[in-house]
Amino acid sequence: MSASIETWRARLPAAFGATRAQVMTRRLGWTAFLLWLAAVLWWFDFTPVRLWNGLSGLGVIIVMMIPPSPGELWVEILKGIAESVAMAFLGTFLSATVAIPLGFLGAGNVVTATLLRFSIRRVFDGFRGVDQLIWALAFVRAVGLGPLAGVLAIFTADIAVLAKLYAEAIENVERRQSEGVIAAGGSKLAALRFGVLPQVLPVMLAQALYFFESNTRSAAILGVVGAGGIGLQIAERIRVRHWDEVAFIIILMIITVGVIDWISGKVRRKLIGERGRQPV
Amino acid sequence: MLQIQSLTRRFGERTAVNEVSLSIPAGQMVGVIGRSGAGKSTLLRMLNRLTEPSSGRILHDGMDVTALKGQALRDWRTRCAMIFQQFNLVQRLDVLTNVLVGRLNHRPLISSLLGRFTAAERAMALEALDRFDLADQALQRADTLSGGQQQRVAIARALMQQPRVILADEPIASLDPRNAKVVMDALRDVNKRDGLTVLVNLHHLDTAREYCDRIVAMQAGRVMFDGTPAELTAEKVREIYGVDEAEFHEQAEEAVRPKHTVAA
Amino acid sequence: MSAAFHTDISPVVATGEAAFQAARQQRRLATLVAIAVLVPCLLLAGWVSEAWPSTIWAGLPRIGEYFWRILPSLSLDHLFGGTKTEGSLAFWFYRAPEWLWLLFETANMAALATLMGSAVSLVLAFPAARNLSPSPLIYQLTRRGLEALRTVPEIVYALIFVWAFGVGALAGILAIALHTAGANGKLFAEAIENTDLGAWDGVRSAGGSWALACRYAILPQVLPNLISYFLLRFEVNIRSASVVGFVGAGGIGAELYQVISFNYYEEISAIILLIILAVASIDLLSERLRHAIIGRLGGPA
Repeated sequence: MSASIETWRARLPAAFGATRAQVMTRRLGWTAFLLWLAAVLWWFDFTPVRLWNGLSGLGVIIVMMIPPSPGELWVEILKGIAESVAMAFLGTFLSATVAIPLGFLGAGNVVTATLLRFSIRRVFDGFRGVDQLIWALAFVRAVGLGPLAGVLAIFTADIAVLAKLYAEAIENVERRQSEGVIAAGGSKLAALRFGVLPQVLPVMLAQALYFFESNTRSAAILGVVGAGGIGLQIAERIRVRHWDEVAFIIILMIITVGVIDWISGKVRRKLIGERGRQPV
Repeated sequence: MLQIQSLTRRFGERTAVNEVSLSIPAGQMVGVIGRSGAGKSTLLRMLNRLTEPSSGRILHDGMDVTALKGQALRDWRTRCAMIFQQFNLVQRLDVLTNVLVGRLNHRPLISSLLGRFTAAERAMALEALDRFDLADQALQRADTLSGGQQQRVAIARALMQQPRVILADEPIASLDPRNAKVVMDALRDVNKRDGLTVLVNLHHLDTAREYCDRIVAMQAGRVMFDGTPAELTAEKVREIYGVDEAEFHEQAEEAVRPKHTVAA
Repeated sequence: MSAAFHTDISPVVATGEAAFQAARQQRRLATLVAIAVLVPCLLLAGWVSEAWPSTIWAGLPRIGEYFWRILPSLSLDHLFGGTKTEGSLAFWFYRAPEWLWLLFETANMAALATLMGSAVSLVLAFPAARNLSPSPLIYQLTRRGLEALRTVPEIVYALIFVWAFGVGALAGILAIALHTAGANGKLFAEAIENTDLGAWDGVRSAGGSWALACRYAILPQVLPNLISYFLLRFEVNIRSASVVGFVGAGGIGAELYQVISFNYYEEISAIILLIILAVASIDLLSERLRHAIIGRLGGPA
């Protein structure tokens, strides 16, 4: 057998493992990775003692969460949930409305000035880098505590992304239909209204609904920085360590998000389904 | 000796394999023929225990295969290697590793998970590949190979398991005639040279007649014929399937064709 | 349309016209219903969230003023002056070394959290894939578990972990990792569900155990997808890591929270600009990496 190993090793050396250079680079890569891992673990203080203490603390918290209880101020909790959903709805509605003209501006079909479009896209991307919570904190300072700051934060954070998606939807439009309108003697505006809008509107609506779903999740936490909604309630209860109420709120949040997902998913399917049934 | 005793498999209402009993001596090459849906595939998959039998028993040299669990079951699977119509190689891995998969059950779990195969195992895999003229392709990705080459890699993998039995489920249905011949020759070679029992599902009667010592014809989950190729006359085929041989081929070809596209 | 035109209309055209009118009426009705639902919803939402046109209108000047004050007062004459010169870039970014270090910390937090979370999801994704799961019970348990992990936002985990593990990056990393485990676990499991099971049968029929079949038959097929999801999640987690500091869980968030709370106007814009630049460059880098990996390992299956 060993004789055949030698023959094969001579004939196909690569089959018996990597070359020295490959082994070296691989080792180097692993060493660098492990060094980085050790360094960050040390830096962020991942000591067994700290982890153990934290986990036992977490265990105590989880035990105290059971059974979840609405507490005495359950009206406030319900109000917070309603506020979160309302913030998400209004924020999404406003950004979806404003994003339509912006989308047309950003779309290559409509605006042909490349430089302008390029810079608009960059600005869109820049907005995307800022988390909603940062916007919320800034708006709390600007217009005061309360849900209005949350609505504005959702509006600002989403508008760029939605406008970008809308621009893409408009670019994907079939040109034949608007060309048809113009060929039939329609104006440029009529071409937009009858040629482009019917094609993109269901897509835009579906995307807005999708954003509504994700905003319901984020609206639930904007209250942590004082921008209204259920987040405020949860932060306060964590501060005073009413863990059973925290658990109740988390469960309520999960249920609310689930219900909104379900409703919006149904409507979205209907929209896309309707689009599918339209003769092309 | 492989003994199958009133083996049955039901899928809901449908009975795919119905009370099949066969006794296959070691070293025999058996062709199982029948239309698509006759239960040939299910029969072979039950022998390897990829599909669980609903009732009946499988015995190999007196050991009850149907009762095996865990490590013992995996050991049995190693001893009865399986070859598939779609080759079932890991397309993104190189040919050598695909062949080495046949050794997985022979080695410790941790080194298997890490992919650390020994030099002896590599040499053994290359030898198995070389037997089918594929040693030079050992380091290519499996999906760069033609169908015929892939099926031969699958046979090399099967040999790596050092099996006693080889189960081949429509091994040539996705291949052109030239490659089909190469693969069938390879199967005959392992049967004759290594003395392995080979059970091969075929939809082509001529191939079965040419290569097999014994032919088992199935229809609707039952064994309708069991004998030598000479005994399977044209009248016999008409008697079992109600059509003549040419029509039978046409229907069988039709049934396996849609699966061809998957091979790409 | 004139009456004369109507007289010689064929019955086919008439039925077509009727169908067209019916369809149009139906569409009008749908629009009306949509408006009838939307308007009360909007009114209700406005009432609950105290966001009336009037309040928004009244808020606009304050918003304008706030964001105007955030902008740095740069003067062209002194643009490249030192840290002591008012109106220079250096004056605007006078604490840049500190902020860059915090950003570096944030990026490392995100990387470690993504790594830890994805490692957990890699282990859980196989039992959570419907086609491979050893039993329906295990499938339901792992899948629902991943869903629960995913639904709770990072910041809520962070709030709780700051209590349990103390203030600092550790709490933030664990919070992001936990959410990542849920989010990536679902994506990984879906990728696994889309694999070709032929290779699985091949490995199993050769006597490979469940774990070995996952390693040899499934992992090579899904690896490019998993790496892609990993990098995408890293991009998302950079953003999350920049805000967990709001609740004391490490990174640049704590600093940002302070400068916003104490109205250090120009520093706000400086930090946010740095965050945008960091996020954008990491996005770019990760996009390059994704394309390189897809190029090398072959496109997602």
